[in-house]
Amino acid sequence: MFGYIYKRTSHAIEVLLIVSIITFAVLQWIPGDAAQLILGAEATPEKVAALRTAMGLDRPWYIQYWDWLKGLFQLDLGRSYLFGQEVVTLIQQRLPVTMSLAAFSMILASVTAIILGSMAAIKKNTTVDYISTSLMQLGSSVPAFWLGMLFIVYFGLELKWFPVAGYVSPDHGLGPYLHSIALPSIVLAIGEVGMLLRTVRTSMLDSLSQDFMDMAKAKGLASSTMYLKYALRSAMIAPINVMGLQFAKMVGGTVVVESVFGLPGVGRLVLVAVEQRDIFLFQGLVMFITMLVILISLLVDIAVMFINPRIRIEMQGE
Amino acid sequence: MSAEKAIDIKNLTITTQGGRTLVDNISLHLNKGEILGVVGESGSGKTLTAKTIMNLLPENLVCKAQSFCVLGADYLTMEKKAKKALVGSKVGYVPQNTGSYLHPMIKIKDQIADGYLLYTKNNLEEALQRARRLVSAVGIRDTERLLKSYPWQLSGGMRQRVNIAMSLMNKPRLIVADEPTTALDSTVQMQVVDLLKAVNAQHETPVLMISHDLGLVKYYCQRIVVMYAGQIMEEAPVDEVFANPKHPYTRALIKVIPSLNMKKGERLAEIPGQITAKRSAGPGCVFKERCSYCQSACERDIEVKKVNDKHFYRCALDL
Ligand SMILES: Nc1ncnc2c1ncn2[C@@H]1O[C@H](COP(=O)(O)OP(=O)(O)OP(=O)(O)O)[C@@H](O)[C@H]1O
Ligand SMILES: [Mg+2]
Repeated sequence: MFGYIYKRTSHAIEVLLIVSIITFAVLQWIPGDAAQLILGAEATPEKVAALRTAMGLDRPWYIQYWDWLKGLFQLDLGRSYLFGQEVVTLIQQRLPVTMSLAAFSMILASVTAIILGSMAAIKKNTTVDYISTSLMQLGSSVPAFWLGMLFIVYFGLELKWFPVAGYVSPDHGLGPYLHSIALPSIVLAIGEVGMLLRTVRTSMLDSLSQDFMDMAKAKGLASSTMYLKYALRSAMIAPINVMGLQFAKMVGGTVVVESVFGLPGVGRLVLVAVEQRDIFLFQGLVMFITMLVILISLLVDIAVMFINPRIRIEMQGE
Repeated sequence: MSAEKAIDIKNLTITTQGGRTLVDNISLHLNKGEILGVVGESGSGKTLTAKTIMNLLPENLVCKAQSFCVLGADYLTMEKKAKKALVGSKVGYVPQNTGSYLHPMIKIKDQIADGYLLYTKNNLEEALQRARRLVSAVGIRDTERLLKSYPWQLSGGMRQRVNIAMSLMNKPRLIVADEPTTALDSTVQMQVVDLLKAVNAQHETPVLMISHDLGLVKYYCQRIVVMYAGQIMEEAPVDEVFANPKHPYTRALIKVIPSLNMKKGERLAEIPGQITAKRSAGPGCVFKERCSYCQSACERDIEVKKVNDKHFYRCALDL
């Protein structure tokens, strides 16, 4: 177990280092000077030079990199000159929005995918199978911005079931909070559910064709026991990995949906950083997202370990 | 009539959807309290027949029969659900290649007893009590540890024994055992077959035992059915099969019974040739290509001949 933790941690550090080098290098090479950008085109060269010194941009690159790296390991992601605030603070303000979206859409997508995907596999080549798979294909091929606008127009403006834009923090009550993120979560979930459903269906089909299902049937077990206790258990490993990937992707920012629904999330922050060439903010965000992805993949591995006793026990043996 | 028989099958045919015949018009019965051996080499359709009895016919296959009764219930008219309940509550099944029939992610104790719990309404403690008793009856000493194990932590022989114990959980009224001893070494093999025989003797539980080991079947069965390429070649009480085998295939099988003083690893004598793949093509005996007695009569359709009330064989020749 300790060997495993050590392995995972050192692997995580490796990944962080590589990503940090790439990010830093790319941003060094792209044209445009941060100081010039901040001060605008009319600024005198003296003023620009002074700001460069103040920001430390006149130092050799390796010192800049080292400083930045040291900060990273103290969870200091740098400072945005656009907002004049710590990147960590900016993320802290926006993370609840993005996290809520990611979590709710993942729950929606997972529940739908597990139920429909299992049913499609159990009733393979029947109407249930065809309808669910083709619906999901439709869902994943419709662009999110279009679906989002459609939902706003219909459920927001026409039926007035949901607010059309904006985020209400849970501090103002659970009802308004859920109400504010429902539509965007549904839009996100529709985009993700197709792939997940296909994964569930495939691994469920595989699981159903296993000999242990024959044994379960020979024992005369109720269908619910057969499918829930036997089939689904071994069919969940691949979907959990996909869920982890999807969740990580969404936590890194859901630019389109956040923009369409006017939600102040991490995705919008990434967009701003790129548009405004806020290099420090962008660097910080990239590192933050990398850390999150590493963390989530760790959680996924733990979840898989939890449902697959073989991995769990072999780990303890180590 | 069929009420006295545990299994009564008439003219069972199993084909692929492409029309290839795998089991060809066989009739088979198992009397009350009897141990019936079904022998025949690989690919002769033994497992498919057993699976059909267990309501486990693979989805890609089609089966039809003139009549098909198990424990007095008519499979041809029965509802799916009732069939599953009948098989689950009253028929014990030891599948071939038992290794993969246990769920790798579930502890033995959580899968050995679930059928029992469903059909006996007893509680978990009673179920585990029974499981312990049966597991030690198949020769496993550390029962507690076994019950707490996952299948992949066990050897092939252990898993097979777990399967055998599991098949006996519900006090079955019929046992279908498909090569129940393949993964076991010879002492355990005897122990396991003795157990099945003891269950048979005590409760008059009929047993359908599939094997390609005629030697084993000889000691434990009352009657033998010899299958080849999806057909029944010969059917007779054990003594008669050995004293007066009528079919050349049966004779060939008897000749290749491994003798008891054979050295380990020594190769068995084999019947020359292989089961022909495209055997459904023409009329005539399915064994003719490998039969040393083959004559022109073997090219025509073969009638089933009767030696006496209990002894039948399917050969054109009078040997
Ligand atoms: N699901 C299936 N689809 C197509 N063919 C099958 C299927 N299951 C079995 N068969 C074929 O049916 C034939 C009989 O198979 P079966 O498993 O009953 O043989 P067996 O007598 O049990 O042989 P063994 O001694 O090897 O267990 C074989 O040729 C096999 O390839
Ligand atoms: Mg077989």
